[in-house]
Amino acid sequence: METVALYAVVGMALVFDFVNGFHDAANSIATVVATRVLKPWQAVLWASFWNFVAFLVLPLTVANEIAKIVDPTVVSPGLIFAGLVGAIFWNVLTAYLGLPSSSSHALIGGIVGAGIAKAGVSVIDGDELRKTATFIFYSPLIGLALGFTLIITVMWIVHRFRARRRVNRTFRGLQLVSAAAFSLGHGANDAQKTMGIIAALLIGAGRLSPDALNDPDGIPLWVVLSCQTAIALGTMLGGWRIVRTMGTKLTRLQPMGGVCAESAAAATLFFATRQGIPVSTTHTITGSIVGIGSSERLSAVRWNVARRVVWAWVLTIPGAALVSAATYKIVAAL
Amino acid sequence: MSRRVDRRAVFFLFSAALSLVLLPLCPPDLRYVGWTLAVAFLVLAVASWADFRSRHRRHP
Repeated sequence: METVALYAVVGMALVFDFVNGFHDAANSIATVVATRVLKPWQAVLWASFWNFVAFLVLPLTVANEIAKIVDPTVVSPGLIFAGLVGAIFWNVLTAYLGLPSSSSHALIGGIVGAGIAKAGVSVIDGDELRKTATFIFYSPLIGLALGFTLIITVMWIVHRFRARRRVNRTFRGLQLVSAAAFSLGHGANDAQKTMGIIAALLIGAGRLSPDALNDPDGIPLWVVLSCQTAIALGTMLGGWRIVRTMGTKLTRLQPMGGVCAESAAAATLFFATRQGIPVSTTHTITGSIVGIGSSERLSAVRWNVARRVVWAWVLTIPGAALVSAATYKIVAAL
Repeated sequence: MSRRVDRRAVFFLFSAALSLVLLPLCPPDLRYVGWTLAVAFLVLAVASWADFRSRHRRHP
């Protein structure tokens, strides 16, 4: 019975990972499709491929850090179940209210809330939580600074070229590279959050040694492959949904701005992944796009949207934590 | 009517201040990120203000 519960929760975590890829697909393929560099089906396959191979390129540091956020020895299927319910509930609620929230932060808030409900504040790794909370703000700020600096530098380099068509063609080609880099960063940072949750679950069930979290290759390969597959499949299917609405939702997207935004966001994600910091890919690319927009004029940025994003940043972790804490109390009472 | 304040410079100054405000919350081994961001936004604010000033300077 315990084994069934364990693998049922692993399955639920993989569904969460799939939905994450589904939800974030637009970030990876929007620019390459809108500028017609790739056909929709090619863009979807391109992003999914780079999502999947991320584990071969970037270290699994985020997974190891996420697994330690709640003391793995107190982690149980009930705790992870409650954490995932809190995260899913928060995502659905914010989607209904039209608030752009981060699945990653909802997941962290959910696990922390369930952990506190089960064993108190002492089982939470305070340093890890502080690091995550700080980078909720730092990651879009890094994206913003890099995006702004990159677009200004690129504009300064290309403004002397008179062959506009040639410049445009070059950036259309470069979009393939920047979209691949962004998909790689997304596949690494986001899939590793689910890997960390599953690793903590396996440690709590006595099926994995806690020492595995100190080893870069300590997480079982089946966990790594299943998480990368889930996020890549999510991107593939989510990409199709986005492509259908692409014609109406997106207007003029310039290849140069797309390349700079994706490159700045990818660089931020690579840095965060190497440092073992779980960040939101959506918030990171939002920061980069604000950086690109503010290179022209501040009114080019839709500040009402930016304000809603900030509110979602602040509320996601405590909101998901409250829901999952309540869920855990209900699960424990049953 | 021309603006007297460069709103972009103010925005960058606010970003620099936010980076500094978050420093005590950041783990010590990652505080260099906050410092780097604060300095970068300060430089961007000064550059933006200089650009704004040169565009709005009255010519005789």
